[in-house]
Amino acid sequence: MTRRILATLVAAVTVPAAAIVPVPAPASADPLPIGRCTTSSGVVLAVDFRSWGGPLLRSCGTTPTTGYELLNQGGWKTTGTQHDGPGFICRISHAGFDNGTPYPTPADEKCVLTPPASAYWSYWHADPGADTWQYSQLGAMSYQPKPGSVDLWIFGGTDIGGTRGGPTFSPDSVRAHNATPVTTAPPTGGAPAPTRAPAQPPVPGAPGTPPGGAQPTTGPTRSPAVDIGATASTRPPTGPPGTAPPTSGGTAPQTGPAVVDAVPTSASAPTERGSARPLLFTLGALAVFAIAGTALAARRRRHTADAWPE
Amino acid sequence: MTPADGGDRLAAYASRMRAARLPRGLHPVAWWLWALALATAASRTSNPLLLVLVLAVLGFVVTTRRTAAPWARAFHYYLVMALIVIAVRVVFRSVFASGITADDHILFRLPRVPTPEWYAGIQIGGPVSLEATLSAAVDGLRLACLLCCVGAANSLANPKRALKALPGALYELGVAVTVAMSVAPQLVESVQRVARARRLRAGRSRGLRAVRAVALPVLHDALDRSLRLAAAMDSRGYGRTGTATRASRQLTGVLLLTGMAGLCVGVYGLLDPGVPRPVGLGGLGGGVVLSVAGLAVGGRRVSRSRYRPDRWQWPELVVAGCGAVAAVVLTVGTGYDPAELNPDLYPLRWPTLPVLPTVAILVAALAAFAAPPPPRPRPAPVPAGARP
Repeated sequence: MTRRILATLVAAVTVPAAAIVPVPAPASADPLPIGRCTTSSGVVLAVDFRSWGGPLLRSCGTTPTTGYELLNQGGWKTTGTQHDGPGFICRISHAGFDNGTPYPTPADEKCVLTPPASAYWSYWHADPGADTWQYSQLGAMSYQPKPGSVDLWIFGGTDIGGTRGGPTFSPDSVRAHNATPVTTAPPTGGAPAPTRAPAQPPVPGAPGTPPGGAQPTTGPTRSPAVDIGATASTRPPTGPPGTAPPTSGGTAPQTGPAVVDAVPTSASAPTERGSARPLLFTLGALAVFAIAGTALAARRRRHTADAWPE
Repeated sequence: MTPADGGDRLAAYASRMRAARLPRGLHPVAWWLWALALATAASRTSNPLLLVLVLAVLGFVVTTRRTAAPWARAFHYYLVMALIVIAVRVVFRSVFASGITADDHILFRLPRVPTPEWYAGIQIGGPVSLEATLSAAVDGLRLACLLCCVGAANSLANPKRALKALPGALYELGVAVTVAMSVAPQLVESVQRVARARRLRAGRSRGLRAVRAVALPVLHDALDRSLRLAAAMDSRGYGRTGTATRASRQLTGVLLLTGMAGLCVGVYGLLDPGVPRPVGLGGLGGGVVLSVAGLAVGGRRVSRSRYRPDRWQWPELVVAGCGAVAAVVLTVGTGYDPAELNPDLYPLRWPTLPVLPTVAILVAALAAFAAPPPPRPRPAPVPAGARP
């Protein structure tokens, strides 16, 4: 009986161990400088970090792609939950915001179970020319954004139908307005370029510079002009991660988020694998418990047999 | 006080300490507290190494400290159930694919079942990654751990004695539970006895005939037993309402029902972040107060005497305490990095083992040494003359 218990226990522990077969990674969406996105090509990805005092970060990706690939290229990174896997977007980070800290932080959300409907990243689309946001009916891994559309992630509470807690700004304030790709030389001076109308200076409570992150104003490519074409995204990937400064004072005084164009960065360095020592220690402890348990139970059986000889 | 007097007192104290470690059954509430504390600890973490340690501690304590009673053999079945839980979790995660990332290690590919456009949110089949399998296994392992905690408590604590510790107001409920809990072991015993009798009579029938030949005597046995139990309970005055008036019974009922409703509202309010915090806390507090009042009022109408009550001695305190250490350390989360309790499998890396939670879980294994050894089984009565 004792031996059977121990055998089952050992089986319970060793079952999950399986062979590791690495496969070549499939090609993912390529990050593009924001100027490559036009009204009919590329996808604009916007992520709203304003819940943590950050900007509304915007970047551009190629099509065809999925919402998930778009969120995992050019400095973006997501974390899933333990319960649902990587397909559920639980945390989002960008190398240019707060040194790539994923939000929400583990203190706010453990990302073990599915987060509550009152605080999670909700996924919204705006097709080319659409004036309203549409709550995504598919997960990030299943949805394939149309060329020229906008993908938006906002943090907060929404209901499943997307009728409550939607974005407070229009798709126009983040989408690409140029019909052809714009490639410009890296800005050399502080020449202010024309600004887009919907983009606003940082409003109180929504600062354009991330807390503790790279300060755009001190970066080497100081460019206050961020029209959709004139971008500061030519920074080499090895440089300090940073964001272009927020678009400066628009002429139309309407309220809206501070839109910041994210600088595409190359993939992050491979993470270290850690050490197998804790696993070996656990297996050792398991063996000690098994041997001690068997020995003690056997001694008790012998004592019982001595006390009550058959 | 003379020195000799003090010495005597010390010696008496020491002998009482030793007496508490003589073979006996530990207070069942102590075992339940210990097991529930370990379950609390296990529910706080998804670190596979910590969960395996919890399982090892449970297995060790059960192996060393269970009695020879029928319910003490239950742990094995809980382990089998735990394995099934893990397997089901892994299979579901593999079949209903949760998505593959570019960095995943693919174990194998299941045939993909095409789903229509309007059903594209759910994928059936497709590649199965090591990450997804491990994550499902860890998720299942945590549930398995909780199951085994309950299993360990069931194997270690004597259910009949546990019900003696129930408050008086839950008396009738307790009787029903005792009767229900003793059904399964009695049925097993009945089946074994009938099977032995059939073997002695060289009964060879198989299949449906064998079922009839076993089922009828077992059913007969069960009916006989319940009649005997009913008679025994009747003669001891079960079911009497004592001196309780109609008004006091109604007061008890109203207090308990509103208390339970308050507890439900409070627990729901605390678990759902959408509900304001004061509602949850208020509901829980009000529910506890009303339930305690209901139990107190209800308990007045039944006066019971206890035959050989279980005493709460220092081994009980140590067993419950070393379980509580594990629960507190894993719940509070200070002294180590709380992120290590829920390691991330993307990207895949070796799990870490935070020192303080490890020590806390190992401390729970001290219950095996603190608890007194279980009482020795009495030998089966041997007919006169059968012994050489």
